[in-house]
Amino acid sequence: MATTIQNVQCLLRSSMSRRFQKFCSRAYSTRKLTNAEVRQKRINLYDAEKERQLAQLTRVEKIEVQHKGVPEECTLIMNKDLSTPFNCAMHIHELLMTRSALALVNGEPWDMHRPLERDCELQFLHFQDEDSRVLNNAFWRTCSFILGHVLETAFKDEYYVELCSFPPPNVSSGSFVYDAALNIGDWNLSQTELNCLSRIGYRLSFADLRFQRLQVPVSVANQMFADNRFKTQQISAIAAKSKSGSEVTVYRAGDHIDLSSGPLIGSTAQIGRYSVCAVHDIESPTFGKLQRVQGLALPTQLAMHSWTYDSILRPRAAKLNAGPLPELRKPQHTQKEIPAH
Amino acid sequence: MRPRKIPTANSGGQEGRLKRMRQIVTGLIRYERVEPAFAQADEARQYAERLIYLAIKNGDQHRETMDMADFWLLEKDLVHKLFKVLVPRYQNSRTCFTDLHKLAIQYPGSGFPRAVLELRGNPWPPIVPKQRETRYLLSNILLAGARKDYHNSKHKVIERQQLLQEEILVSGQESGKKSQPLHSASASQSSSSSSVDSGMSDIDQDHMLEDGSSVDGSSFSDSNSSGSAEKNSSEFNR
Repeated sequence: MATTIQNVQCLLRSSMSRRFQKFCSRAYSTRKLTNAEVRQKRINLYDAEKERQLAQLTRVEKIEVQHKGVPEECTLIMNKDLSTPFNCAMHIHELLMTRSALALVNGEPWDMHRPLERDCELQFLHFQDEDSRVLNNAFWRTCSFILGHVLETAFKDEYYVELCSFPPPNVSSGSFVYDAALNIGDWNLSQTELNCLSRIGYRLSFADLRFQRLQVPVSVANQMFADNRFKTQQISAIAAKSKSGSEVTVYRAGDHIDLSSGPLIGSTAQIGRYSVCAVHDIESPTFGKLQRVQGLALPTQLAMHSWTYDSILRPRAAKLNAGPLPELRKPQHTQKEIPAH
Repeated sequence: MRPRKIPTANSGGQEGRLKRMRQIVTGLIRYERVEPAFAQADEARQYAERLIYLAIKNGDQHRETMDMADFWLLEKDLVHKLFKVLVPRYQNSRTCFTDLHKLAIQYPGSGFPRAVLELRGNPWPPIVPKQRETRYLLSNILLAGARKDYHNSKHKVIERQQLLQEEILVSGQESGKKSQPLHSASASQSSSSSSVDSGMSDIDQDHMLEDGSSVDGSSFSDSNSSGSAEKNSSEFNR
């Protein structure tokens, strides 16, 4: 049997036209882009940029941080451009370290791992605050960010997933969204496959990955996202909206790096339940055909009965989210935040 | 074992009961929070409410109100408090003036449930601790959104049903007028609505018409079909 197969192969090889052989060799020589390579490249660029920015800090200056709220109001002397609200929480109480998902610095939402820049008043937010709407939006944004991670890591190397963008967070819509070109052809993801995606996101909560914020110049951002045809188009518009006009905010959690205006929550340990619920085909006016991936998540701090989650919230999250479609906005056009509640 | 008389909460019959009521009302106006047995507090509450209501309504120039205050308030300096302190406090109140809270039954003890009767806006620390606002919890925002979606979908279904019923009603009335011009309006309406309402058999309808007046029958069948739908839709609008 084996010999006959070998014979056939020999025959085929001999009868192969020269043109076909050339085609084959060309096909093998052009390597396809994979998500893993692109991600590694981004990480290298991120590390280099972070190192460069840290090297600019030659002298450690002190700032005065006044903490408001439980367990006690106190004043801390911290390092300027180095200490983060998380570091302040480490000095105060372990509870603040684990449950705080966002800080308010002089009333402004501030990431837990973003260095403090000047003397300030500090408050910590968690998910059971009386009015946690700011934090809810940050959580929803974080879940979209994590969905990007899930999509980039879930598929085999033969599928090159290009993330596009996600609309402003709107919790009451019932689902968070990431618009991306999955490049999976006619493959309709079954419920089992969606569950597999969910599990990738859910597992991150055990990894306790911190969300780190970094402002990078446009040139670096362009290098980072050079392999993503959607992000490269958006970077200049995003940079034009920023304060300095030439910087873009990127976030990193583990080995995932993405553009986001922020703020995001402190750590993936604060994401309790995570489900990817549906994939819908959408047509963007500027980016063409995309997939809208929708999910549902709850913070670790909030408990919910599985019946409510599985039979009310998940079916609702699977319906097409009516959030704005991704499109290239002109720099002067200000992005409207949808009031969420 | 010899039979014994079971001790009751108050002694002295009707007069004793009234005396106890007056004591509680007086105590309530004096201290703004009293702790009698639940049954007594529940009973005295209405008299205190009524007294304050009359004081607000009629003022201190009204003879009957003054007599009433004189009767209920055993300590006469409280008449001044009623008109000078409580009337201004509850002048614009849209709800009741007192609160009644049940207390836990003490064991071992008498076994009678006790209660706290208090005037609203009293200076004491609150009995019910301040409830945390849970509206903006992420889970509750999600559930509120789901609830809204559900009601909107229900509302749409009801609207569609209403439209359908109206169409059938119009067509039914037209056909009814053609076939039975001598029937009264109510009867024709009831027959048309019964044609819409599938849950109600014709026999039931006839039975009802025989039993009560025809108006009752028609109103009942109306409320079964289109009336209930309208009521539901108005609820959703709210």
